[in-house]
Amino acid sequence: MPKFIVTYVKVIDYLSTKCGRLAMYLIFVMIAVLLLDAVTRNIINIPLSWCIELAQFTMAAYYIVGGPYSMQLDSHVRMDLIYSRFSPRNRARLDCFTAIFLVVYLVCLLIGAISSTKYAIEYDQRKFSMWNPSMIPIKLIMVFGITLMLLQSISTFFKDLAKARGIQLS
Amino acid sequence: MSYEAIAIFMFLSMLLMMLTGQRVFAAIGIVSTVAALLLWGEGGVEMPFNAAFKLFNWYPLLTLPLFIYMGYILSESGIADDLYAMFHVWFGGLKGGLAVGTILLMVVISAMNGLSVAGMAIGATIALPEMLKRGYDKIMITGVVQAGSSLGILVPPSVVLVLYGMIARQPVSQLWLAGAIPGLMMATLFIIYIVVRCHFQPHLGPTVAKEDRDMPMREKLKLLRAGITPFLIFFCMTGLFIMGITSLVESSAVGATAATLAALVRGRLNRKVMEETIRKTLGISCMFMWVILAALAFGSVFDGIGAARAIESLFITNWDLTPWEVLIMMQLSYLVMGMFLDDTAMLVIVAPLYVPLVKLLGFDPIWYGVLYTITCQIAYMTPPFGYNLFLMRAMAPPEITLMDIYRSIIPFVMVMTLALVLVMVFPQIAMWLPEYVRSR
Repeated sequence: MPKFIVTYVKVIDYLSTKCGRLAMYLIFVMIAVLLLDAVTRNIINIPLSWCIELAQFTMAAYYIVGGPYSMQLDSHVRMDLIYSRFSPRNRARLDCFTAIFLVVYLVCLLIGAISSTKYAIEYDQRKFSMWNPSMIPIKLIMVFGITLMLLQSISTFFKDLAKARGIQLS
Repeated sequence: MSYEAIAIFMFLSMLLMMLTGQRVFAAIGIVSTVAALLLWGEGGVEMPFNAAFKLFNWYPLLTLPLFIYMGYILSESGIADDLYAMFHVWFGGLKGGLAVGTILLMVVISAMNGLSVAGMAIGATIALPEMLKRGYDKIMITGVVQAGSSLGILVPPSVVLVLYGMIARQPVSQLWLAGAIPGLMMATLFIIYIVVRCHFQPHLGPTVAKEDRDMPMREKLKLLRAGITPFLIFFCMTGLFIMGITSLVESSAVGATAATLAALVRGRLNRKVMEETIRKTLGISCMFMWVILAALAFGSVFDGIGAARAIESLFITNWDLTPWEVLIMMQLSYLVMGMFLDDTAMLVIVAPLYVPLVKLLGFDPIWYGVLYTITCQIAYMTPPFGYNLFLMRAMAPPEITLMDIYRSIIPFVMVMTLALVLVMVFPQIAMWLPEYVRSR
């Protein structure tokens, strides 16, 4: 494998792991925010309007930024009726071909995300609610997460390609 | 090409894409992307991302990661060990008693968690090895764990019913209440099946040796204390929600906190357990969320071509079916599709097609939600594709082969189908409790 590919895989894997492990802790943010909401409303009687929305934003960031890391962990379910009967090397060969599905889908997702973010920046889009937060930050986070997911898919493709040729990459 | 043909073509290409063994979300995503581009050209390019905003607005799905987190904490917390010890002593004397105890254990776990992951993890790591050691038939007990853990999505709380509630626009509290009695009924049917079968074939579930379970009554009663923590967790979560004190998503946060506290009190929480838990939570949550994201894009393409209308005209105008025949057709088609396609994706794609039809025919959408969930439970277990199968394969002890897992579910799927038919014929089984609470 050419050196730049090896470097690419290393850099992207490192980035995905770091970001994913950061996103991993957002579960506590979700719990804390929702708990805060329940407590303030019921016990000290101050309803906070922004809690649910903040939790919504957090969840979007959680699964989108966590996506690349979950791919590294191989958490994504596959229909393995036929797939599981192949040897690891043949699986990698097959994955090299089908990676195109993943990449095309993610590219499309990214195009949509970028155009939606452009719109949000141009018109200073806000969420229509009492809190009325700007939509720009969450959209930027989503663009970042989807980009990373795309880069991670390409990295996974390279790793599969290497495995199909009998080399172990990272 | 007619719209019906496009819809069928999309389903078939999704199946084909999945057969390649690529990650499920990518298989669904690519079919919806390509279909959107072919149907609407450049305007379709934003469709996959718009699904992210639909998902964003489905904020009750916040319960999903929280329940997954809670499930892992519960299985680590040791609550299940105590419960198992309790059922072991109290039911060990019965033929097949440990299997009966396992079903009851699953009911308790299901009442604390809204997914089947928790029950599966506990069943495969605690109950299965114990029963294997005591000479239980491995095929039967594999089925017991799979069927028992599937109760997680029917007994309240239930994430599947939350998802259904969002699609059908029905109140989740009513749906949860509607699932309670059918869930308990199904558990009873499982128990009857186990007891009857072990009565005729005692070698499948031998009784536990007397010295193993013999202890003074006082000790026996002491074991019942294992039930206190689960009850408290159930009350803090589902109880407060049904009483209207906490909202749905808040109650799942309360439940997650309660489970964490329970684990903390027992001194089971250390860095390693916590790290494992939140990493697995991220993995499973991302799997579900990305599948739902792709399925929502698929669903909006279906919306665009008017697939709901097409199914309606096919069932009612072309085939001239009576309402009940339509209902049976819907359940059968869902079962068959659930076998081969991803179960969560099916829920997201197919429910929007069926729910308007259910309303049009004058059936109660809450009752249909229960039917849908039972069908979903069956779909989770039927090969070649099912989450419970998938999880079981990952967690089961090595002596249980894939073939064992496949064979183990047959009798339980039959029992579940019986439960489905019972709820269809006697809607009161599901509807009595929610109607009672509503009328109060």
